[in-house]
Amino acid sequence: MNAIGLLIIILFILMVFVGGVQGMKAFVGLVLNFIVIFILMILINWQFNAYIVTALMSVIILALAIYLGAENQFVTNTAFKTSLIVVSILMVVAILVQHLGQFQGFATENSEELEGLSLNVGLPFTKVAVIVMVISILGAVAEAAMAIVADLNEVIERTPNLSKKSLYAHAHIIGGQILGTAINTLFFGVLGANLPLLIWFIRLRYSIAMFFNAKLLMMEVITMLLGMLGILMSIWVASRLVVHGYVKIQSKNMRKGE
Amino acid sequence: MIFLKKTKNYWFVAIAVIAAWFLLRSDSFLYQEPVGQVTHVKVQSKQKTTDEHNNTDNIYHQQLTVKLLNRNKIIKLTNQYTDSQTVTHKYKVGDQLLLTGHAGHFRIISLKRDAVIGSLVVLLLGLLLIYGKWRATSWLTLSLVANVILFAIALYIDVHLKNPNVILIFSILAIVVASLSLVLVLGRTLQMVVTLLATLLSTVLTMFIMFAALKITGNEGVHFETMSYVTQVPVTLFIAQTIIGVLGAVMDEAADIVAALFGLRREKIERHFKDYWHAGMNVGRDIMGTLINVLFMIFIAETMPMVFLMLRNGNNWPYILDQIMNLGILQTVISGIGIVLAVPVTSALVGWIAERYKVVD
Repeated sequence: MNAIGLLIIILFILMVFVGGVQGMKAFVGLVLNFIVIFILMILINWQFNAYIVTALMSVIILALAIYLGAENQFVTNTAFKTSLIVVSILMVVAILVQHLGQFQGFATENSEELEGLSLNVGLPFTKVAVIVMVISILGAVAEAAMAIVADLNEVIERTPNLSKKSLYAHAHIIGGQILGTAINTLFFGVLGANLPLLIWFIRLRYSIAMFFNAKLLMMEVITMLLGMLGILMSIWVASRLVVHGYVKIQSKNMRKGE
Repeated sequence: MIFLKKTKNYWFVAIAVIAAWFLLRSDSFLYQEPVGQVTHVKVQSKQKTTDEHNNTDNIYHQQLTVKLLNRNKIIKLTNQYTDSQTVTHKYKVGDQLLLTGHAGHFRIISLKRDAVIGSLVVLLLGLLLIYGKWRATSWLTLSLVANVILFAIALYIDVHLKNPNVILIFSILAIVVASLSLVLVLGRTLQMVVTLLATLLSTVLTMFIMFAALKITGNEGVHFETMSYVTQVPVTLFIAQTIIGVLGAVMDEAADIVAALFGLRREKIERHFKDYWHAGMNVGRDIMGTLINVLFMIFIAETMPMVFLMLRNGNNWPYILDQIMNLGILQTVISGIGIVLAVPVTSALVGWIAERYKVVD
């Protein structure tokens, strides 16, 4: 039996056991996201405009990740809005960073894998680099947005007559905690994905200059930095949106009371 | 004026970012290698090509006039690039280059990218400072820097031992890094000890499941040999990678669940195992899906450039899934198992401990 197949079955059983219906939904969400990324790659391979395809698919991926992840409508709507704002800003930053730093394609470190492959393939790898940056941060942005909105929502539900100011104070404390752990997750995730490359750089005695300039390594650093920026912005935007939404609902209720 | 005052901090950050950009653009005196800046570009020829898979592309030859910044000299270089820029680069006026060689025989080794990276770091730190104020930000930065240093030490040990036990080195690293991060975030409290225990226990269990699955199936369908940048045995390297990836996510999740359950404990100390178990499972259920997504996106995005190249080279999807995306998918699935397992493990552990220690610290 295929090892990956067996592990996928184990994952499915665990998710259903731990999460019940919600776990099953989350699993379906993962599978659907995989299919969306699949479609994204097919469309770009067919020479559709890379940025437009990425923007559209990012919206779908975020929607799947958020709406299949939780139940509460206020939480999911706010988190979705936050993620859209943050990802659009970051996409612009990614395009700018790629323009300045030229992180596209492969380097001499890939020689072995590239052997026998045609490299004049007529697909702009400058755009592929931007796609990689944007796709890598989607998960982190959605997660941070969901976490802070869900926590704040709980604060609102638990404490009646919460003032705007104290909600902001809560947002700040909770945001700080989420920021710390989310950045850690991203940090280890990226390190975990790049262990072989780092060992390569050290083992082959790359000069210090290369540690700060080499394409492949810097691409990973940029991805990590953009992700951290994304987490920070999504906490910030989400707090604003939650407080704004709360004040609106409250004033509506007050008017009803009169 | 009021607008300027209100947004004062952001202006400071913007100025700092621009300052970092210009500073790092003029740091060539720090480099031993010759550093040059492109001052003029002339395209000498353009040639259309079609490869054996009917992909059309253009090959350009460009002549670059480069001013050496730390050698006081002007040289001319020729460079070849294609529209797709898979391995080649199109250089523009203003690009700074790291060169090698001397008098008359210079070769480009890399674009100089430190200014872009540095500016982005300054932007991130600046925004963190505005959001988190000085104290919180310095703790976070400290823990990140400490983690990088610990990581560098582990890498150094791994590279300099003759027969390194990679799994052991990186397992120890994982334990040290997890303890340190949690102490820095939570302080030396019972909450920190419980979070750490839950993190380590979940990671160990996940690794156990992975080993069992690989053993039962005899590694069928798993291609460790397709790993990139391999300088040592790929299987152990993959395991070390997975331990690190799982650890970060599980730590995040366990910290969330434990924090919520300790909140319950503070409200009312007389609770039973069942209360904690149910509450913990509820919290975990909400976060596990999005957490798996975080790692999934990172691992899959990583494989994309190679997938595109293979597609353009006429390879079919089954082959690409099997050869290029294989390890990315495997790492996602194992990390997913870790993230899901951490929910019951953490809930049970907190319940068990909280039932026994009823003194609030």
